[in-house]
Amino acid sequence: MLVLFFRRASFSAFSLLVVCLLLFVLTRSIPDSPARIVLGDQATEQQIAQFERDHGLDRSILAQYLSWIGNLTLRGDLGRSFTTGLDMNKQVADTLPVTLEIVAVAFFAATAASVVLGTVSALYRDSAVDYLARLLAVIGVSVPGFWIALVLILTFAVERDWFPPEDLVPISQNLAGHVRSIALPSFCLSIFYMAVLTRMTRSSLLEVLGQDYMRTARATGLHPARVLLYALRNALVPVVTIAGVSFGHMFGWALIIEQIFSIDGLSRALLTAILRRDYAMVQAVVMIFTLVFVGANLLADLANGWLNPRLAAATG
Amino acid sequence: MTWLNRIVVRCGGPVGFAGACIVAALAIVAILAPEIAPFDPLQVNIQDQLLEPGDSYWLGTDQSGRDILSRIVWGSRASLMVSAFAVIIGLAGGVPIGLVAGFYRGGWLEQAIMRVLEAVSAIPVLIWAIALVGILGVRNIDLGPIPIGNEAKLLALLGLLYIPTLARLTYTTALIESQANYVAARRLQGVSGVRIMFSDVLPNCLSPVIVQGTLLLAIGIIIEAAISFVGLGVQPPTPSWGNMLASARDYLLSGEWWLSVFPGAAISLAVIGFNLLGDGLRDRFDPRHTTAVGVAT
Repeated sequence: MLVLFFRRASFSAFSLLVVCLLLFVLTRSIPDSPARIVLGDQATEQQIAQFERDHGLDRSILAQYLSWIGNLTLRGDLGRSFTTGLDMNKQVADTLPVTLEIVAVAFFAATAASVVLGTVSALYRDSAVDYLARLLAVIGVSVPGFWIALVLILTFAVERDWFPPEDLVPISQNLAGHVRSIALPSFCLSIFYMAVLTRMTRSSLLEVLGQDYMRTARATGLHPARVLLYALRNALVPVVTIAGVSFGHMFGWALIIEQIFSIDGLSRALLTAILRRDYAMVQAVVMIFTLVFVGANLLADLANGWLNPRLAAATG
Repeated sequence: MTWLNRIVVRCGGPVGFAGACIVAALAIVAILAPEIAPFDPLQVNIQDQLLEPGDSYWLGTDQSGRDILSRIVWGSRASLMVSAFAVIIGLAGGVPIGLVAGFYRGGWLEQAIMRVLEAVSAIPVLIWAIALVGILGVRNIDLGPIPIGNEAKLLALLGLLYIPTLARLTYTTALIESQANYVAARRLQGVSGVRIMFSDVLPNCLSPVIVQGTLLLAIGIIIEAAISFVGLGVQPPTPSWGNMLASARDYLLSGEWWLSVFPGAAISLAVIGFNLLGDGLRDRFDPRHTTAVGVAT
């Protein structure tokens, strides 16, 4: 188990380094230098050279990369923006919590709902509930979340004032208001993943229920609830893997959702940074996303090792 | 009606056939857009702005008095073009890479290819696409004499980003197939490795790739719409479903619902079409469900 964990973790670290190197080369190889973007077209060659020297942009890409990685790993310092001069760590600390909250709420809602719905749908196969769940799943993977968001705003914020279109209410100010202001964004974010995971739970559980050991378990006279528990333990392995991947993906879609609901989260900060050509910020945010993504996958592997110890034994 | 039955079976049953019909209808709309659209999608009519759906404008007009229906019809071109070409690029790049890595397994080549692909897949496609479009800028790039518009940039990027997904999928199948007895038999016949790889192993690896390719078409539609929605994709006034939704956002609270409802319905219909077709093809080609829906975003 421990061996598996360290193997996974070291590979994850490798992925982070490669992604970061790619981003570095890409941001540094575009024709416009950040100096030109900040100082404008009127800047003289001398001013630009001065700017590049001040921000260490005159060094080779590899040297810049190594010093960035060094600062990040040794001091946890994401650096400073060339264009706005703002400290990245503060920027991230200001915006990450909101995004994390919306994504976490969406993630837990999606996984809980899909495990229940998928299980019911598999147990009562070909019943009305099953058909309804499958229909919802097809709609959920096809109808884009950002359109659902627009339609929900139309129905619940414009026609009725159930979820008034206002800024995010801080949790310290008003708990009910806070819950109300993140309910719609989280819901829109979760629908797609709820659909994917419901399908996954259903098909995986059906496969497990058809196995010989399930028949044996039932034949020994175990309580049906107990049999279902054993079945779920096996059936959830692929679901957990996909849930781990989904958590990282949700940060990407949060970008669109935050844009619609005007929430100042990390994902929206990425968009602002892109439009301002603030590459240090783009780099920092993408790095955080990759970190979350890699971390979530790692946790999913660990959870699977616990659900099914044979998996850990086989790969570790 | 045996020919109809045969087509239904080809699409993997009635569900897949329904998907194929939707996709075919959309393709016809996109190709014949100039004939089908009742109005010029770019024609501004100040006196007709923000009209509700009615007799002359079936789906209403937008803030510049442009016909929504005509803009949706023309917008299908951007969506279908981006998602179709992206999948073609992804297949052309991903399948050979995965095939080589799976066929010449155990070597440094396999390790090098797979590790880099896995690292690139560590960032979701949507984030990569938004970050890359942002880095390259939304203005047109001139590559020598060829100007590259934003649609072309988007489809090239998406295509590149599909390569890891498709390569890893091909790799998994190629790894299993290249250990099969028929490969050993071909080797004993003295056939060269490259030839076995392309003429014997490749055809057996295509089923999951075709299924995943169809599902990626659906994902491409959503990603194109999402990127155009945040203003980094197809640039106005050229209509696309995504940028129509973006401008509709400003009229949401004042109650002009038709601006946002219809373009979104078009996106959903297209995605449902590709997803149903993909599901049908999966039942036919890949009953064990090795391809996973939606995971590629």
